[in-house]
Amino acid sequence: MSASRARPRIDPRGPRFVAAITAVLLLVVVFLALTGAAVAALVLLTALAALFAWGAFAGAGRHPFGLLFKRFVRPRLAAPAELEDPAPPTFAQGVGLFVSLVGVILGLVGLSGGLAAAAAAAFIAAFLNAVFDYCLGCQLYLLLVRAGLLGRRGTPAGTA
Amino acid sequence: MEPFTALVVILALVLSATALGLVWRAQQGRIAPVAGDVITPTDVASEVPFGRDATLLLFSTELCARCPGTSRLLAGVAGSRPGVAHLNVDLTHRADLANRYGVMQTPTTLILDGTGRVRARIGGVPHRAGIARHLDDLTGSSHVRLAS
Repeated sequence: MSASRARPRIDPRGPRFVAAITAVLLLVVVFLALTGAAVAALVLLTALAALFAWGAFAGAGRHPFGLLFKRFVRPRLAAPAELEDPAPPTFAQGVGLFVSLVGVILGLVGLSGGLAAAAAAAFIAAFLNAVFDYCLGCQLYLLLVRAGLLGRRGTPAGTA
Repeated sequence: MEPFTALVVILALVLSATALGLVWRAQQGRIAPVAGDVITPTDVASEVPFGRDATLLLFSTELCARCPGTSRLLAGVAGSRPGVAHLNVDLTHRADLANRYGVMQTPTTLILDGTGRVRARIGGVPHRAGIARHLDDLTGSSHVRLAS
């Protein structure tokens, strides 16, 4: 099993905390876009895309909301049952970056409805992650591998 | 759109996401009995032989947060039962295996009987008790076969 790479293992509740705040902000984006506040929606979604980029490139353990979790929330909680590899939540941040960028581009060309739809899609993923502990890397990554878009070929598979 | 209408849309969005989550959670870890194909260690490029009575075959990828814990759970179950083997198949580099066995999510666990035939399939993190019960049934039926 390839567990830890270069990055240190993280508290699995951190990414869920990040997803909860992100989900609320994405709902605000949807609301702004629906009520005609197109510029405000675009600005907020761009800010969220920047946060996703931060999480995707610096790693889920260094997300700004994650630092908030480490500083203020984690000291009040019991130690987690186990730590986890930051690679799966970092992948989820990358997916969030892609979807929110699509929304930003749609907003820039004046398609407010498209921006709202992209924000709604990102909201569903973030909400499922925060509330139900849904893991995007467990499903979407595999489907992208199956579609031939990710993953490499030709290496042995089975181990004990 | 009026702010009130927009709020109704937002509420509908939250409710549908909740419904989606409840449906998803209800299906996680459920053991589905199947009458499947026979898998050999060569099929999944396994370095380890299958178990005499049963094999717990875990499909994972490098980006699956739940797979390391599931692997430990299966190793624990297999370790306490002689004749039951456990192995991990990393699909990161083997899209062909994911397609052949129709794996839609990780972790996905297959329970194989002593002949390598797929007898059950579990999507998501399995429950230890459910797996133990299924293995009891499997090994029990093989005892009956031996006796007759």
